[in-house]
Amino acid sequence: MYNIIAVDISGRHLMGEQYFMVCAAVTLSVSASQIRRVGEMNIKSFNRDRAPDVDYVVQMIEDTVDGLNTDATIVVEKGDLYNQPEWLSKIMFSQDLKYPESLSERLGIEIAHHVSLSSRRLLIRKFGIE
Amino acid sequence: MKNVILVQRRDPRSDDEDNQIKFLELEELARSNDYRVVGEVIQYRFPDRKCQIGQGKVEELIALIREKAAEKVIFYNQLNSTQIYNISEACQCEVIDKFQLILEIFATRATTNRSKLQVELAQLRYELPKARMLVSLLKKEERPGFMGLGGYEDSYEQDIKKRISRINKELGASLRDDEALRTFRHEKGFSLVALAGYTNAGKSTLFRTLVHEDVPVENMLFTTLLPTTRSLTINKRRMLLTDTVGFIEDLPHWMVDAFRSTLEGVFLADVILLVADISEPAPLIRKKLAVCHDIFWEQLENASIITVLNKADRISEEQVQMRLDQIGYLAPNPVVISAKASFGIDTLKETIFQKLPIWEYLRLSLPMSEEGMSVVSWLFDEGLVHNIDYGDTIVMDIEARHEIISRAESLEQELWDSSSSL
Repeated sequence: MYNIIAVDISGRHLMGEQYFMVCAAVTLSVSASQIRRVGEMNIKSFNRDRAPDVDYVVQMIEDTVDGLNTDATIVVEKGDLYNQPEWLSKIMFSQDLKYPESLSERLGIEIAHHVSLSSRRLLIRKFGIE
Repeated sequence: MKNVILVQRRDPRSDDEDNQIKFLELEELARSNDYRVVGEVIQYRFPDRKCQIGQGKVEELIALIREKAAEKVIFYNQLNSTQIYNISEACQCEVIDKFQLILEIFATRATTNRSKLQVELAQLRYELPKARMLVSLLKKEERPGFMGLGGYEDSYEQDIKKRISRINKELGASLRDDEALRTFRHEKGFSLVALAGYTNAGKSTLFRTLVHEDVPVENMLFTTLLPTTRSLTINKRRMLLTDTVGFIEDLPHWMVDAFRSTLEGVFLADVILLVADISEPAPLIRKKLAVCHDIFWEQLENASIITVLNKADRISEEQVQMRLDQIGYLAPNPVVISAKASFGIDTLKETIFQKLPIWEYLRLSLPMSEEGMSVVSWLFDEGLVHNIDYGDTIVMDIEARHEIISRAESLEQELWDSSSSL
């Protein structure tokens, strides 16, 4: 069993005149094929008037992960980092990072995706963002 | 045996170790199809529109073909029809890519009607996007039909599409038969166990060791194309073990689709034995396991996975431990074995038994009658009878799936009701 921080970003598309994005980071204890325990979660929203580039994505992930008290490897979808090779993405982060490999890591990202997506929907409804 | 030259274009700044592994795999694939590798051409650059590799490298390739008398060139990278046409024109020999090579292997190994259909489907799916371009390249000078207004490009594409739909229909029918058979086997009290893993991991050898039966085993890729199923009994629990086709990295979706009916045996199993070769270097095992996890993620339903680390007799115990530490995060329920040396097989059987769907226990008593005896015979088929006592009534302790237990309880009730009303 080992710990990971699964991260996902929702809303990387233009909405009205801005990009309203929500990044979710979830700490998990996982085995190779199963999630054993879900720990902390941190959700952060970001507003931007132009499309997020790789640097901005890295910043969003780092800011969100900073709010957690767990120190573990960040697991993020390759597509979230514009399909960069893993070694290139690794050197852009201050913490260890990897792309998902095992079933449990993919499940972790799915959880983070549900969190970010539902939080974004909730925020959009609450603040009436069109 | 044909002489072939292997070509790989590598992206600049890409992982060299990874590229090398991929290249070795291509070499292995070529050997599996009885080719003799006589030369290698590797270039670091971004893809060239015309030939995939640069013009200078093409010249180099031509010289190498002449020198080594090569009859075929195999590219690791996927080629479009223009590139195939340009390179084969320049080299004056046949040019194929990795996917075509895999299809060639499948075509030579396909023996049954179903596997032949699957291979043809995969070939047609591969050919479809290229059909239009291929015809227009070959018939550049010709204008078919009256006054050059006709066209056979469309009709060629249409022919392929029609054939694809016909094959799909035929395969669909065999898939339905398979599903019915699987449900029947489940109902008959069998648990389904499937062997899965990267190609050449030793799945067939393990299959042979577990069921004590001869299936073809060879040290080459894709020896198994069609699933083979045999029954296996562990601690009196009956199960069906299926040997399946191996996975490979970057298998395009049209190929996975074509072999879906073969792979479905894996995805619908109760327990999956994910076989990996532990004698390989850790990064390679990691990569292969990641490919398997990737395929499982897309398709897997509710199955337990046991990672069978095979070929442990080839390395020392310290090395085994080191590999386990390095790949542990990708290996659910690892069991170290050697199928060839029959080492660790008992532990594996015990682990399979533990991971089988849970059966329930029931003590029931049945009237000593013809109906009662037929229920007894049915329970012997469906579950595990621990104890049976034929007295004035039949008392038995059984273990079976939940559905069987519920049915047995209601039958018991029915039989007693009918016997008391008599």
